[in-house]
Amino acid sequence: MFSGFRSTLIFILLAFSLLLGACAGGTATPEAVVPPGTEPQVSDEAIVTSSGFECPKAEFPMEVTSTELNLFVWTEYIPPDTLECFELVTGIKVNRDEYSSNEEMYAKVSAGGTAYDLVLPTDYIISLMIRQGMLAELDHSKLPVMKNFDPNYLDFEFDPGNKYTIPYQAGMDSIVVNTDAVENVPDAWEDLWSPEYAGRMIFLDDSRAVIGLTLLTLGYDVNTTDPAQLEEAKNKLAELVPNITVFDSDSPKTALIAGDVDLGMTWTAEALLAQQENPAIEFIYPSEGAILWMDNWAMLKDAPHPDAAYAWMNYSMQADIFWLMLKDFPYINPNQAALDFAKDNQTDLYDAYMGSTITNVPVEAVENGHRIQDVGDTTPLYDQIWLEVKGG
Amino acid sequence: MSMLQKLRENRSSQGTLLALPTTFWMVALLVLPLLLTTVISFGKRSPDGEVIYTFTLNNYIRLAGFDPNCPPADGTCFNPLYLQILGRSLSLAFNTTVLVILMAYPLAYFIARSHPRKRNTYLFLVLIPLWTNFVIRVYAWMMLLRKEGVINNLLGLLAGWIGYDFKPLEMLYTQGAVLVGMVYEFLPFMILPIFTSLEKIDNSLYEAAADLGANPIRTFRRVTLPLSLPGVVAGTILVFIPVMGTFIVSDILGGRQVILVGNLIQRQFLDARDPTFGSAASLILMIMTLVVTYFYTRKFGFGEEIVAA
Repeated sequence: MFSGFRSTLIFILLAFSLLLGACAGGTATPEAVVPPGTEPQVSDEAIVTSSGFECPKAEFPMEVTSTELNLFVWTEYIPPDTLECFELVTGIKVNRDEYSSNEEMYAKVSAGGTAYDLVLPTDYIISLMIRQGMLAELDHSKLPVMKNFDPNYLDFEFDPGNKYTIPYQAGMDSIVVNTDAVENVPDAWEDLWSPEYAGRMIFLDDSRAVIGLTLLTLGYDVNTTDPAQLEEAKNKLAELVPNITVFDSDSPKTALIAGDVDLGMTWTAEALLAQQENPAIEFIYPSEGAILWMDNWAMLKDAPHPDAAYAWMNYSMQADIFWLMLKDFPYINPNQAALDFAKDNQTDLYDAYMGSTITNVPVEAVENGHRIQDVGDTTPLYDQIWLEVKGG
Repeated sequence: MSMLQKLRENRSSQGTLLALPTTFWMVALLVLPLLLTTVISFGKRSPDGEVIYTFTLNNYIRLAGFDPNCPPADGTCFNPLYLQILGRSLSLAFNTTVLVILMAYPLAYFIARSHPRKRNTYLFLVLIPLWTNFVIRVYAWMMLLRKEGVINNLLGLLAGWIGYDFKPLEMLYTQGAVLVGMVYEFLPFMILPIFTSLEKIDNSLYEAAADLGANPIRTFRRVTLPLSLPGVVAGTILVFIPVMGTFIVSDILGGRQVILVGNLIQRQFLDARDPTFGSAASLILMIMTLVVTYFYTRKFGFGEEIVAA
């Protein structure tokens, strides 16, 4: 009797643990950043966040009837003060879900049934989302914040005339090196094939970027759909993969800082944050050209709160708020007005931004850069090559 | 006659009614999705990664290693990539299960033979790790295994004392790390069923064996082992099947270099945006697991005694 009871208990616990395990890969439901019921403040009294940051007034005040805004954004990509200020100043409650890859976002949104207003897609997935009719056209008359942006970061191939998107931040995938540990510092993608670096490298777990840089070393286009060129790239990449210790797109800086690896490829902010931990870590723009990308706000076609979405884009990217990005998420900042604001008011941050070639990218490096585009029918082939070089 | 009375008299409709909630649950969340997966697996991928519903075997041909666009006679098109991935998953699941049995059995035996008052404490200790999220436990192994991690630092310290020149071991991001992670994750699922079956063995059986002159080894072989086999079988099913499909452990501890069939399937639904191929791979995984489990249980049974306990 007693033993029977215990076995039952064990099996209940087991089943429970299995369930817990099964949930491990799932995403969380939207969660409120600040308790609801915060009323818009009308008095002249300063509005201050819990961290003591004084919220600026809305530069472009909007008429908003919605009381909520649902964001679906990259993990760790919005300064907490920005979120809190938006809620305090407008009285709109922000619900935020996070994703860690464009594909994850696309899969969730295309499955339908989401109630997101804004997403933060990168380059190539935008053209796909536009083709699939997933995005709403933006009304530029409701986006005065548009004037803040450096024209060099507008009107890209993935969205001519910025009909559907507005820039957030840009970055590059390039070579990162711990110059204390590496004797000969590479200056081209091609150099990474050197046996000197075997077993010391980290790469992003990004099939398009890594196959793309291999194509570059062969003199081909990063977006090629020619099976013969891809076959050649596969054979070349197969020589490199055994030299790579780890593929990581979640937090590549960790392995660099921990000393697990000495060099490899990573993206802008990871390199900068690693450099802040260890000044010997440098970001190098290879002669074949680095991979350029940009994250952009886009509104979903069935967004339930478009008015709040416009209010968000205008407020979160006005100059006296967006400079916070220089502090919290130092990527390449296309928001010229925010940079100008920082120049006058946040000199240390501005100097650090302008003084680092990681954020203030040399013009040649940008001109020399390449953008990943959607390759349609060739996508499965890229994936097959990726699996083949890694698992074959 | 009221409905209730009718029901009271009719035993078979009682059964139907009792099974209704579970039946509904299984149909809605198992049968229907399975059917959908089957249908999708015979479909085609559109350039944008949508499913075009049609009937083609191309996904299965690709899985078997042949290029559907290649003339079948041409041997150069054969590429065993996916077969290798399936094979690797199978052998990893097999190795994990064997290691888990070897480690779980002695512990379960120890717990079952210990004083009844201590047993609950021991069982409690076995279950405690399961209260922490699966992914966090895997990350903890990263801290232990990395080049400047706990194990390497301890070994370095020891080596320093005896004056031995120590080079940090490369443990993280290897197949071995994935195996260690899997064994760790699934160990409790083997300990508990084995314990349950060992605990039920009547002490008088051991006494009888001793009376009849069996030495401890013989007693173990002729009494303990056969009677605890149902526990091993139940544990094997609980371990083998999830290991076949898990992708988190190989993602984190394998440095994304150890590709298992779980990783393959996950990539099809995300990076490759090819749900049709992903569905085909899922079905093949399921069929493979079923076949292995079928032959295994035909030989050893389901461990029903344990499940019924």
